Amino acid sequence: MSAETMLDPRAMNSPADRHAAATTDTLRANELSLGYGARQRHVTVIDSLTLGLPDGKVTAIVGPNGCGKSTLLAGLARLQLPESGAVLLEGKDIHAYKRREVAQRIALLPQETHSPEGVTVHELVRFGRQPYQGALSQWSEEDQRLVAEAMAAADIESLADRELASMSGGQRQRAWIAMALAQQTPLLLLDEPTSALDLGHQIEVFELIQRLAHEEGKTIVMVVHDLASACRYADHIVAMHAGHVIAEGAPAEVVTPELVRKLYGVECRLIPDPDTGTPLLIGVRRTSERLSGSAT
Amino acid sequence: MSRPSPLDPLRSAPTGTLWWRHGKLSLLLLRAPLLAAGILLLALLMASVASLMLGSAGLGPWDAFKAAFGHGEFATVFVVQELRLPRLLAGIATGAAFSLAGCLMQTLAGNRLATPGIIGIDNGATAFAVASVVGMGISLAPPVMALSGAVIATALAFGLSGGIGTRGYRFLVAGIGVGALFGAGTQLMLARVSIDAANSAYPWTVGSLNARDADSLTWLGLALLIGVPIALWLGRGLNTLRFTDRVATGLGQPVSRVRLITLWLSVVLTAAAVAVAGPVGMVALVGPEIARYLSRHKGVPLLASALAGALVMVLADLAGRTLLSPQEIPVGIVMAVVGSPYLLWILLRSPR
Repeated sequence: MSAETMLDPRAMNSPADRHAAATTDTLRANELSLGYGARQRHVTVIDSLTLGLPDGKVTAIVGPNGCGKSTLLAGLARLQLPESGAVLLEGKDIHAYKRREVAQRIALLPQETHSPEGVTVHELVRFGRQPYQGALSQWSEEDQRLVAEAMAAADIESLADRELASMSGGQRQRAWIAMALAQQTPLLLLDEPTSALDLGHQIEVFELIQRLAHEEGKTIVMVVHDLASACRYADHIVAMHAGHVIAEGAPAEVVTPELVRKLYGVECRLIPDPDTGTPLLIGVRRTSERLSGSAT
Repeated sequence: MSRPSPLDPLRSAPTGTLWWRHGKLSLLLLRAPLLAAGILLLALLMASVASLMLGSAGLGPWDAFKAAFGHGEFATVFVVQELRLPRLLAGIATGAAFSLAGCLMQTLAGNRLATPGIIGIDNGATAFAVASVVGMGISLAPPVMALSGAVIATALAFGLSGGIGTRGYRFLVAGIGVGALFGAGTQLMLARVSIDAANSAYPWTVGSLNARDADSLTWLGLALLIGVPIALWLGRGLNTLRFTDRVATGLGQPVSRVRLITLWLSVVLTAAAVAVAGPVGMVALVGPEIARYLSRHKGVPLLASALAGALVMVLADLAGRTLLSPQEIPVGIVMAVVGSPYLLWILLRSPR
């Protein structure tokens, strides 16, 4: 399978690769290996992975369950120490930074967020300012302004004094995004930001993410389960399989029926979306059925 | 240059907070926990006066107050200064220490049932304190022995559960097992020593403010003097621990360091309190719950928890001294009678 990837010219020399060579990526993985467990039970999830995340764009990491998407995101966010290789932030090893310095550059929205009793939206968004505060410098007018701006950007101002526990999933997710925005970071890492949301709220969150990249120049990296949404809303797709990147580039160029088969073991056809030109998956079915059909 | 109006949203404190600024220094405090602490402080003062007044010799509030400072009749001054005041102070200190330790441990484990008493720390401390009293093994002073027992119990619970884990369940279950083991150890020791030795260790097994040892009380005072400021300083980090670890780390918090300091603080405070009053662990369950209720679940109410614990302990001891007078019910038993139905209520009420 890897030989096939090597021979695929699109996977090797995509426009995004050229882009990466021309500009510097603020966040890069350099021969990064990540794993967990000790000795015999040890599992390497990410194996010697090199990746640049293009500045000012929405990058979607896609792949089947267990391919290492979330582990890669954790590594990129300095949550996990690499076994070998490094994550480079502004060209420097991310573990050479202090936690607080990383928190001033990268905001992270994990997949599982717990909303404690009694916490209101405004309180949550205030936590986003914590990387800039100290024990005796807890709140400034600047903090106040940036929290207000973050809430406006995530369109959650009208719910400022509502408790998180009493809100819908979509509203809560917007509140968490507002917290990440209040961190005022050039990079925003999101782990399945729409996994628990219905279609309407999914679109709302994806459009917000797109706006943040295209209008405010943020670099966004998100793990996305749904390939169709990734094609529709990402500028750059990183397709992962078993801890390796098997394709990366613009959705229209890297997403092919072959890639979909490699990633998920399903057959499909692709047509360009008449509105946006991004690829649309149609006629998705299991590979085995097709194979047995072609054998007869 | 335009002058910001007093209603300028950038210059007024966010809803529900108090904002204090002076040059580069600034504090942003949640109003609800402060208000709760104020109410509890007032209630504690009233309970304290009542505790000085009531007993086999009843006193008026003013007489009791004067006697506490050495004014009035000799007999009155003796009763108040030598009997009631030290006992009151011991109640306040142990209640505050148990309850603050409980609030810290609950926040650490993300589980309101995870108090030092339930995790077996009280039992570990008690077993070692009893061992020193009945003269088994190395005879160190009770506070040192209690601390050793508490540390060993915590280390066992931690080692067996492999850390605190998500929502603290494994830690809780391992701790309950460790606690049972130490409880059995205590009973075994008491069964094997002479009746006099067992009698002298009795207060440690039920929890009582009657047989305090002055040295132990000094150690507890010291632990509180150092522990309370550290806990308040940790407060901001503890607040982010209410979310998941990943969120806290993403905000730049040194999560493992905050957890380690919190755990140590909780263990030391519990051990110091056990050395004075025995295992009255129920305070650690009831105190923080009252504090959270009064502060409407805003933030981690450390100060309010300590005050609520002190209040509950003083009231429980007062009830134990006066209800069946002249017989005295140990405060540990009063707390168990009041606390157990409460524990059942937490377990049985429908989750939100």
